[in-house]
Amino acid sequence: MAALSDLSTAQWHEVFERLGALGIMDATLTGGEALIRTDFFELVDSIIANRMRYSLLSNGTLFTQALIDKFKTGKRFQRLNSIQISIDGSCAKVHDSHRPHSFDRAIRGLRLLKAHGFPLTVRVTMHPDNVEDLEATARLLLEDVGLPSFTTNEAFPMGAGCGNEGTTCLTPMRQLEAMRVIAGLQARYPGRIGAQAGPLVKRRMFAEMEEARATGNKPTRWVMGYLTGCGCVFSKVDILHDGTVVPCHVLHRLVLGNILTDDLGEIWRSHPTLKALRKRRAIPMKEVPGCEGCEWAEFCNGSCPGLAHELTGDFNRANPEDCYRHFIEETGGIHAL
Amino acid sequence: METTGENHPVYLQNPDVVVREVDEDGALLFNPDTNSIRVVNRTGLFIWELCEKGSDLSAMVAGLKKSFDQATEDEMPEQVKTYLAELVQNGFLGQEGNEVLSSESEERKR
Repeated sequence: MAALSDLSTAQWHEVFERLGALGIMDATLTGGEALIRTDFFELVDSIIANRMRYSLLSNGTLFTQALIDKFKTGKRFQRLNSIQISIDGSCAKVHDSHRPHSFDRAIRGLRLLKAHGFPLTVRVTMHPDNVEDLEATARLLLEDVGLPSFTTNEAFPMGAGCGNEGTTCLTPMRQLEAMRVIAGLQARYPGRIGAQAGPLVKRRMFAEMEEARATGNKPTRWVMGYLTGCGCVFSKVDILHDGTVVPCHVLHRLVLGNILTDDLGEIWRSHPTLKALRKRRAIPMKEVPGCEGCEWAEFCNGSCPGLAHELTGDFNRANPEDCYRHFIEETGGIHAL
Repeated sequence: METTGENHPVYLQNPDVVVREVDEDGALLFNPDTNSIRVVNRTGLFIWELCEKGSDLSAMVAGLKKSFDQATEDEMPEQVKTYLAELVQNGFLGQEGNEVLSSESEERKR
């Protein structure tokens, strides 16, 4: 099943041929829910035939034994990097509050994939209704299901979701609470809870900003004082369901072209928007509009340009959602933990 | 296929391996079946290209001596042999009669 504006099976074959010809190594299939397409495995086989590997982001609800068997055909399993399942709570009441009618099927799918040895990751997206459930969620995933680890993120305002920020996104006080809970869980489950964004990452970065300001010692793991918050534009682009090429799904309003009518290699090498996004790393935070006089500018990196663009209309701004000055005003800062 | 006719195995590229030329100094080989990457210098790329249609050790050594000024006589065969063994072990190359090639790969070769 595909929406009217989705590329057809034949068009996706052409897309993967183009990607293969460019020497692309990995494709990630996401949605919506990619498994809802009846031609899903045709698309996977097309990725394989064009000498790539693949990953899948899924809500987990459609995995059955029959589907598992299809994944075990040919090189589908061998070329699979990982399947990421979204689990946002320890029970239907919590998980289904933002993903209706899906918890039981998602957990069944997760257990099935685990039992069959699939390379699995689970992402817990934090929102106002699941912070207090996080301990139970960790117990479910790490002890009951027996996963080696899971990762966390947080819901952020994007597209139509911008109008629902109050019910979908964590306030600074709820973020502080999430940081406190995650810190406890990390002590209980060392090395088993990760993140690339969200409260866990913010807690670490805010602490490092405080440390750098107090001691003058900046971390070597990331660059402070410049708009260095994102490296995505150096390693990937996103192709939307209709073939539109964008820098990433968060920067979905910045159209770079169409995969079927434009030369992706040329877009990657020369598109002015991609070039501008790559150059933002050279912009000092103290010159970023809105951050000029900020005492934290020397220690900040502006965070995600996608959310900055979504919320301010300019990717050369700091992401207001991750502003430590604002966080301090609302919570008292990381010391309040 | 390039061969000297001596009793050496003939090495062939795994057609599933992707080669991305980085610059004039070398390239990157990616084996999607094993998710492994190998960076090769100009010499490695030369050997890789010889294996497109198949080549044995003697032919490779002869080609290297002809194409690279710095190629040393004595140790080269053993070095190339070790290098080839490593590429075979990691699935970048196969040996004729012992190729690990998928049906898709065979189809694509045709």
